[in-house]
Amino acid sequence: MHIPDGLIPPSVCISGYALTGGMTWYALREIKKDSNPQANIPKASLLTAAFFVSSLIHIPIPPTSIHLILNGMMGAILGYYAFLAIPIGLFFQAVMFNHGGISTLGINTVIMGLPAIAAYHLFRLRDKVPRNRQFWTKVLAFASGAFALLLSATLFAAIAISTISPDLDAAQERNAIYLSLVSYGIQAIIEGAVTVMLISFLEKVKPELLNI
Amino acid sequence: MKLAIDRYAYLDSPIHHWQQNYKIVGLIGLIFSFAFINNLILLPIIIIITGIIFFLSRLPFSYLVSRLRYPGWFILAVVFLLPFMVGETVLFQWGELTLKLEGCQTAAVIVVRFFCILTISLVLFGTAPFLSSIKGLRSLGLPQVIVDMTLLAYRYLEEVGDMVNSMEIAIKLRGFDKHRFKYRNLQVLARLIGSLLVRSYERSTRIYQAMILRGYGYKIPGKKRVKKLLINPENYQDLLATVLILSIAISLLGLDLFLTIR
Repeated sequence: MHIPDGLIPPSVCISGYALTGGMTWYALREIKKDSNPQANIPKASLLTAAFFVSSLIHIPIPPTSIHLILNGMMGAILGYYAFLAIPIGLFFQAVMFNHGGISTLGINTVIMGLPAIAAYHLFRLRDKVPRNRQFWTKVLAFASGAFALLLSATLFAAIAISTISPDLDAAQERNAIYLSLVSYGIQAIIEGAVTVMLISFLEKVKPELLNI
Repeated sequence: MKLAIDRYAYLDSPIHHWQQNYKIVGLIGLIFSFAFINNLILLPIIIIITGIIFFLSRLPFSYLVSRLRYPGWFILAVVFLLPFMVGETVLFQWGELTLKLEGCQTAAVIVVRFFCILTISLVLFGTAPFLSSIKGLRSLGLPQVIVDMTLLAYRYLEEVGDMVNSMEIAIKLRGFDKHRFKYRNLQVLARLIGSLLVRSYERSTRIYQAMILRGYGYKIPGKKRVKKLLINPENYQDLLATVLILSIAISLLGLDLFLTIR
C-alpha cells in the first residue's frame, strides 16, 4: 500500500511532504506535553523496530499471502509517537527494500499516519466507557485496526488512481477504487481481528504498554 | 534478519567520496526534478544522467537488478492497463482490445521516472553507511527526536529481526504450520507479535536507564550547541559536485516547463 516513485505528479509529492511537515510539528507539540517525553523515545523507537519487523510476517490467504500493516495498532499503542514512527518505518522500507520511495515518502506518511492518529483517538474512547470496559476495549480495538487500514486503503487508492493520468475517465477511476477497496476489505477484517487479539494479549501480559 | 544496506557502502568511487550531507542535497534535488518530468523527449536525457551517476558509483549492476525486482513488478502491474484505457489515438486494435498512444506515453513516463528515481535513491543510500545518511539528515535540520528514534530503531532492527526468527523457529518446532489459514494460526501469530512488543518494551526500559547513566539528555549549563555549517571551504569539491547536480536538476525543470508551454 505504498505509492512508488514516479507514479504520481510532483505536486502531490510536494503536498504530501508539506502535510507531513505540518503533522509532524503538531505531533512533536503533543509529545512535548508529556510529563517526561524523553523517557518515551527509547520505548517508541524499539516498538517502531518491533512493528516494522512484525509487518514483514506473512499471513497465508490461499492462494496468496498478505502482510499486516498494523498502523491502527501503532496508533493505539504509540499515540502521537506513531506519526514519527511511521515515516521512520517507511524510510527504512524505501531505503532497505525499495518499497515506496523517497519522493513519495511524504504522501505515504500521510496515507499511513493520519489513520494511525484517528485510530489512537478512537481507541482512547475506552477511557470514557463507564461499564463493561473489557467488551468495549475489544470493540474499539477491532474498530481502530480495521478502520485505520480501510482509511489508508481509501486514501491510497484515491490518490494513486485519480492522479495516475488526467485522461482516465471518472467512471473508470471510481470502479477501480471500489474494486481495490473490496480486496482491502478482507484485509481490514483480518487486521481488526489481529488488533483485538494483540490488545487482549497485552492487557493480560503488559497492560502498561497500552498507556505510553 | 540481515540488513544488506551497508554492503557496498565502503567501495572506492567518486560518489562514495562525496560527503553524505552534500550528496543528500544534490541527489534529492535531482530526484525531485525527475519526478517533475512529463515530456517524452526528456526521458532519454534522464536515463543517461542516471546511467552516468550509477556508473560513477561503481555499485554492481546485479545489486540494482536485485533491488528493482519487487518494486519493478509492482509498477508494471500498476501501469499495465494504462495503454488500453487512457487516450483516444488508436495504435492497434485486436477485437475489443485497443492499444492507445496517450496511454503508452503515460506508461513510459511513469516507468522511466520510477526506474531513474529508484536508481538514484539506491546510489544515494547505498554509497554511504546508513549512519552517515542519518547524520547527514540531522545536519540538514531533521528534528532531534526523529533522529534519536531513527538511530535507536535502526540499532535494534536486526536484533528484533533475530528475535522474530528464533520465535518462529520455536513455534515451528512445536508443530505450528504457518502455511494454513485458520483462526488458531492467526491467534498464534498475534501472540508472537505481542511477545515481540513486550520484549522490545522491556528492553527499551533497560536501554533508557543505560542512556541516562551515559548522560542522555543532559545539557552542560552555559554551553551552546555548535551549529554545523553546510558550506565548509575544506569540502569545496563536494560543494562543487552538489552545485553541478543541482544545476542539472534546475535545467531539467526549466526544459520540461519550456517544452510544456511550447
